[in-house]
Amino acid sequence: MTRYAMVMDQRRCIGCQSCTVACRTWNDLPMDIMFNPVVSEGVQGVYPNVHQVFTPLICMHCDNPPCTICCPTNASQQDEDGIVWVDSTKCMGCKVCVNACPYGARDVSALDPFLKSFVRKCDFCKDRVREGEQPYCVATCHQKARIFGDLDDPNSEVSKLVGGLAVTTIFPELGTEPQVYYIPDLGGAK
Amino acid sequence: MSETIDIHAPGVEVKKSCCYFCHQNCGVLAYVKDGKVLKIEGDPSHPTNQGGLCTRGNIALLHLDHPDRINYPLKRAGEKGSNQWERISWDQAISEIAEKLNQIKAESGAEAVATAGGTLRTEDWARRRFMNMFGSPNGFHNALLCWIPTFMVETAVSGWSPFETDLADSRCVILWGFNPGASGMPSMRGYSDLKKNGLKIIVVDPRYSETAAHADLWLPLRPGSDTALALAMIHVVIYEGLANMEFVNNWCIGYEELAQHVAQYSPEWAAEHTWLEPELIRQAARIYAKSSPSNIQWGCTADQLGKTAGAGMHARAVLRAITGNLDCPGGDLMPGPAMNYVTDEELEANEWLPEEQKAKQIGADKFKLCSWPGYQLISDICKETWGKAPTAEWMCEAHGPSVFKAILTGDPYQIRALLVSATNPVNSYGDAKMTLEALKRVEFMVTCEYWMTPAALYSDYVMPIAGALERPTIHNNYGVTDSLLASQRAIQPLYERKTDYEFWRLLALASGQDEDQWPWETLEEVFYYVTYSFTSLGYQFNSYDEFVEKYRFYYPPLHYYKYGNNGFCTPSRRVELKSSILEELGYPSLPTWIGPAENEIDDPELAEEYPLVLTTGGGFMPYHHSEQFNISPLRFLRHDPYFTINPIKAKELHIKDGDWCWIETRRGRMKQRANVEPSVHEKVIYAQRGWWYPENGPEGDAPYGCLESNVNMLSSVDDEHCDPIGGSWANRGLLCKVYKVKYGDEPDIQFSIPGSSKVPGVTVMPSDQRLAYELIPYNPLPTFEVPEGLTWDKGTKIAWDLERGLAYDPDSGWLYDPETSVFFDLETRFAYDPETETLVDEAGTHYDMTTKQPLGDITPAVADVEGGE
Repeated sequence: MTRYAMVMDQRRCIGCQSCTVACRTWNDLPMDIMFNPVVSEGVQGVYPNVHQVFTPLICMHCDNPPCTICCPTNASQQDEDGIVWVDSTKCMGCKVCVNACPYGARDVSALDPFLKSFVRKCDFCKDRVREGEQPYCVATCHQKARIFGDLDDPNSEVSKLVGGLAVTTIFPELGTEPQVYYIPDLGGAK
Repeated sequence: MSETIDIHAPGVEVKKSCCYFCHQNCGVLAYVKDGKVLKIEGDPSHPTNQGGLCTRGNIALLHLDHPDRINYPLKRAGEKGSNQWERISWDQAISEIAEKLNQIKAESGAEAVATAGGTLRTEDWARRRFMNMFGSPNGFHNALLCWIPTFMVETAVSGWSPFETDLADSRCVILWGFNPGASGMPSMRGYSDLKKNGLKIIVVDPRYSETAAHADLWLPLRPGSDTALALAMIHVVIYEGLANMEFVNNWCIGYEELAQHVAQYSPEWAAEHTWLEPELIRQAARIYAKSSPSNIQWGCTADQLGKTAGAGMHARAVLRAITGNLDCPGGDLMPGPAMNYVTDEELEANEWLPEEQKAKQIGADKFKLCSWPGYQLISDICKETWGKAPTAEWMCEAHGPSVFKAILTGDPYQIRALLVSATNPVNSYGDAKMTLEALKRVEFMVTCEYWMTPAALYSDYVMPIAGALERPTIHNNYGVTDSLLASQRAIQPLYERKTDYEFWRLLALASGQDEDQWPWETLEEVFYYVTYSFTSLGYQFNSYDEFVEKYRFYYPPLHYYKYGNNGFCTPSRRVELKSSILEELGYPSLPTWIGPAENEIDDPELAEEYPLVLTTGGGFMPYHHSEQFNISPLRFLRHDPYFTINPIKAKELHIKDGDWCWIETRRGRMKQRANVEPSVHEKVIYAQRGWWYPENGPEGDAPYGCLESNVNMLSSVDDEHCDPIGGSWANRGLLCKVYKVKYGDEPDIQFSIPGSSKVPGVTVMPSDQRLAYELIPYNPLPTFEVPEGLTWDKGTKIAWDLERGLAYDPDSGWLYDPETSVFFDLETRFAYDPETETLVDEAGTHYDMTTKQPLGDITPAVADVEGGE
């Protein structure tokens, strides 16, 4: 079996937002849709004892995705390899899934009347991934802060990282079992 | 729904192109079908980016066919700046421009034509070639703010700039005013990897930058005080006995004088200037010196400090040398010029520029190192050493701000035409108000551009230039390294765009230059000529495109200790801690402290009115210089300009996060929004560079909002603030104040020369402006009487017996051999034998010290043999 997952190494992320722009150009996204924003609370502390952490966000491709169960047309679905995606031909744009997702990972564009009609979200670049390539945001990351692979393959980098490091996930208490893991950055300059 | 593009479909070609939106030139794979680029992505096999592409790289396709791009030659149809254009053909444009330039040359001399360049976006050797053959020395770039003075000072001291950090074997790197986390994505990845392997990273930055966040030791100094820090670090290395004396004794000259000179620059002394704890400075110096091999990585800060810049570059060059980190494994390597391909300098045709024209270069009388006087000295030694010299375009240029002043004042003479290529001077050169006025007033202006910038708007002709995917590119670090990275065109230029090379070539031919001097019609032909000699190294290719497809790059094997053969490429063949080249040009020969352009210690009155310290000029994602403000996915990330202020100061000034505020210096004010964040010191303001508002339109006195949030409203190009050595002007360490914008506040557009004058217009002519310090007249004459038969060498300041290679020691009156340290009698040239305290000749005969008579009885065996003589 294959179970795709991603690890975000926050020790390496510098908040350059290359992934944000790369995803937008690769997927031709309208301006009000963003699959992978990078957020930060800014520089914290008292000068010069400060630190800053960047958190790249993306669809968590949960093991227990609330967004597929609620979909009235089955447009929002999960494949066997764990990729959650929306079939645009079936979606009617009702936005139930938009409200169901606790990660804000999906939305309908308000800009283009045609694009209004279906929900857009990250699909881990499934066309690339199934050709054996990396998702585009992973390929474009200069810092190698994003690591993608098959969690079921014990030799893959992601399974080694998830199994061997103190990784966290976002909102684990919700029971969605997100499959995007974070290696936290615990501080800045000494 | 957007159509699915299949990059693996039949007929899709993969072209090995590159990104063109900063200096890294990351590899890009362009998927091309029927002359159309379908997609681009980072090239996984490219040595620089290994598949990565940043925000800027990813917008290449939007840039390629952006609706605002200039696609046809435009000729001004209305008043200057009225934005009325007539579309004309290339032939018409080129012949009209050539005619006008020739007319100006006939009337006022070739020097009345100047050209301004931007960052690496162009084939600038071609611009230089055109200008050299045309006869004008007045080409310039923003070079003086970006590495070039550093390169020249380091080359003066150690024979070539040691800019290649051999990090794989290094144990410590100082990232000095360098923030790859926002300006050099591939290098940042490298630092993160190496740090994991144990590399110590020391970051010198007044701001908690993306890079400082990854530092082992962060030195948050007062902006502009880098020179004081460097001097104090030299002090620590010398007086704590951390210098590599083996290297110093064998390969450096001037160490004793340096040691005496820096005795005054203790960390305690530096604390007042840098706001750093003396112990922190000591710690940094100890880590750097004890971790050898270690590196100092150059950052733009070095060249943007104004009058204190040159001494800082010199100090860092000294620091590397006395710790023995030059050209050794893991150290700072000096590649020297490329011996295996044609360098930019060899394409520039500098020999065509007559001496009398070189002498007319604007600014060369004041800022001598990076113009003809200094370049000539350095290029002569380099040619003697390698037969090749550093690129003259960049390293030997007119002083840009002085050219703008000459346009406005006619001092030293009137500049009548300005050819602008790939730059928006209002936003990228210092003193924006003055620069804008110069662009408005210059008699004739041509701009080669992608966009309608403020500079293009006031032009008589605007030429459409090919961008990233439309042209081949060779990346070779401004033509001063021995490796190269090659990329090909993805597609032919769209519409009527041409490469800037073709512009200069066509203009050259139209203005009467010989076609034989411009034999290459396209850039591919030039680059084939450049790389052709690789075929003798076993590379097999019949065209430049084939070279790119098969090889893509050329890295010669690393050679360490290259100085071992012939010494360093300096007049004395040693690392000149006490630089004879700087001395000859009239500058202090040892790194000597001078405060930043404006500071609270030298000018406490000014600091009362302007209590905060401004730093600016640093890069920030997603923009590069003044570019990409019109690319929506990037502007979306940062729509407004922000300055950073410490929360404590913000509270004191009643400034809330996001408030629009004026930042004001003596020269003017501009507005940005407040980013209240503890990433800077309470007294420091960090403002973003480059901002203009392409969406604001061409109306008004300052079109496209080019002065509104432009940080160059605040920077100073007054001669007294510029570095006399290299000519860098001041972006960092200026005094400023900050206050909230109120309703009805008037924009600031009145220019003045000097910039700080309260009276608008020209109040002091440029030639009457003083430098930061007086140049020291160079006296190459010996300070002692040179004995007969010896030759005085002004470079080494030694009287030589050239026949025997012996140097004269004026203190003792003896000659000595610098290699064996054997002393010789001046009169007889007999060697001194310390064992017997006698003189001995080449045959071995001993002589009395005072009478110089043979002494047969001291060594009978020898005396017997030689006795017959």
